[in-house]
This record gives sequence, structure tokens and C-alpha cells, in this order.
Amino acid sequence: MSPRVRVAALAIALLCAVLGWRAWRTNDEQVIRRRLDALTADLNMTVNDGLSTLARAADIGSYFTDDVVVDLGEGAAPIVGRATLVGMASRLERRTAAFRLRFDDVGVRVGPGGRTADVTLTASFVQRSGPDAAESMDAREFALALVKESAVWRISRATGVDTLK
Amino acid sequence: MTLVRRIVFGSHPRRTAVRVLVLAAVSFVTFRWVLIPVRTQGISMLPTYESGTLKFVNRLAYVQGAPARGDVVAIRLAGPHVVYVKRIVALPGERVQIVHGQVLINGIPLLEPYVRNRRPWDVSEVRLTHAEYYVIGDNRGMRASDHDFGRVDTDRILGRIVF
Repeated sequence: MSPRVRVAALAIALLCAVLGWRAWRTNDEQVIRRRLDALTADLNMTVNDGLSTLARAADIGSYFTDDVVVDLGEGAAPIVGRATLVGMASRLERRTAAFRLRFDDVGVRVGPGGRTADVTLTASFVQRSGPDAAESMDAREFALALVKESAVWRISRATGVDTLK
Repeated sequence: MTLVRRIVFGSHPRRTAVRVLVLAAVSFVTFRWVLIPVRTQGISMLPTYESGTLKFVNRLAYVQGAPARGDVVAIRLAGPHVVYVKRIVALPGERVQIVHGQVLINGIPLLEPYVRNRRPWDVSEVRLTHAEYYVIGDNRGMRASDHDFGRVDTDRILGRIVF
């Protein structure tokens, strides 16, 4: 085998290794991103009756661990436990499409071993109001901690980040 | 047909294609990494910027120099797609205080010609570290509790708002 062929083979092997490692590494990232997309879809879903509201609240609960802590920061007591969160979600009225949640700039870092992950994102709350349906937006940065439970990624902690202190 | 082809592709189609590709590449790089378009939302920068206007963030503005007092800057949250647009009122190492709506820097009132209405905001004095700026929107006619302002880490400042 000539040196040129050997170098080419080595380069191809290296490229395959890098691509394989990236594919393996990004797999969990993709799963987490899809899971967060599904969470926003569920949160933005419009429901019209009490039963649907309860079903939706249960769906939303499935994205969180039993002992989840949602810390919105200064001035708000942390929400502790999935049951509390589901109770709050079931009280949310989603009768109009005037309110929409969006996640932007989602950054995912899967921990060693692939059992935990840290996510940073900007949650944008877009509200349409008035006769001209003018949009107003409120945005907040969040840091999420996720754990993999029975092959399903769930949020174990959500902490509001104060961009301006 | 030949005339139409000549108008669309020019007399040297290969050269035209290269020009189009170069223009597309330059536009992509410029508007993705250098001059990022942002649409303002909200009233915190009134009267300087109306809600809904299109502005650009110059990401190269602070390559050679540090942000200055009075600069309107974009501040990233988790990333560059949703940003705060605020004005720098105090620089690293300075002391800031707001008394009845008047900003004091190291105890001296700050002249702010861009502010039209002032509510009597009161904020206790804070000393900025060497990696912090103090930013506020121009609309001081709103309640302080409805207005996001305060200290920001230097590494969150993406660039200066232009145009």
C-alpha cells in the first residue's frame, strides 16, 4: 500500500470515527430537543372542557420527575413536586390561542454516562391582545436539569436565570 | 429568448453565477454573525425605539474598544436570538444609585437627554465589579417593577444597536 493510500485510508477512518462519535453524542441531544418541542406543543394546546384540561395537565406532568423543583427566582416560592405542578397546570385556562410559549436558543449538554443533562434556553411568552392582535413578548432565561428515567428524559429542576441582576 | 437569457444571466453566465454565490455568502455571513437583525418588542426603550421597529446589532462594535456610557446594546439571554435592548448608564467599577428617578454615578447626577418622563424610581447604591455594566431602558415613565434593568455581565453584551 502506497503512503498516499495509507494516509487517505487513515483520514477516512478518522472522519468515520468523528462522525460516529458525533452521531452517538447528538442522539440524546436530539431526543431532549424533541422532548422540549413536545412540551411547548402541549403547553400551547387549546382545550375547551374540564376533562381535556385534566388530560393535558397529566401530559404536562409526564415531562417532569416526581420531585421536580421549579425555581422562578426572587419573589416567587419554588414549586416543589410533580403533583403540585400538575395541579397548577390543570387550573390553567387554555381557551384561546392568545397566549403562546416558545423556547429559543436551546443549548443541551449531556453529562458523562448519558444519564443526566443540562439545558439552557430562553422561554418567550408571546401574548396577542387588542383588536389588531398586537403581540407583546416577555422572555426569561432558564437552566434545566434533566435525568433519564426508564429511557425517558424528564426535567428534575428548572431555575430562572436573572440576566439583569 | 436569447435576449431574456442575456438579461437574466448576463453575457458571461458563469461569472454571473459566481457573483451571485459570493453575494449570497457575504449576505449570509454579514446578517448571521456581524449585523444581526433584531425586532424590538415592548415599550422600555421609548421614545428612542418604538415597539416593532427593525434594528441591527453590530457584533464587531466592541472588538477594538469597550462599551461606553450611553451606548444602546443588545444583551443576550440564553443565546443571540432573543435579546434585551438597553442603554449603558454605568461602567465597570462605578457606583450606581437611583434617587427619585435620577441616576447617580459615583454620587454625581447623570445627564440623560434621551429620557423624557421620569417616575420617582429609587434603587439602593450598588458598586459594579470590573466585569459588569449597569443598563436601563430609556422609558422611565413606567413603573420600575415593570421595567427590566440592572447589572449585566460583560460577556452577555453582544454588540451595539445601529441604524
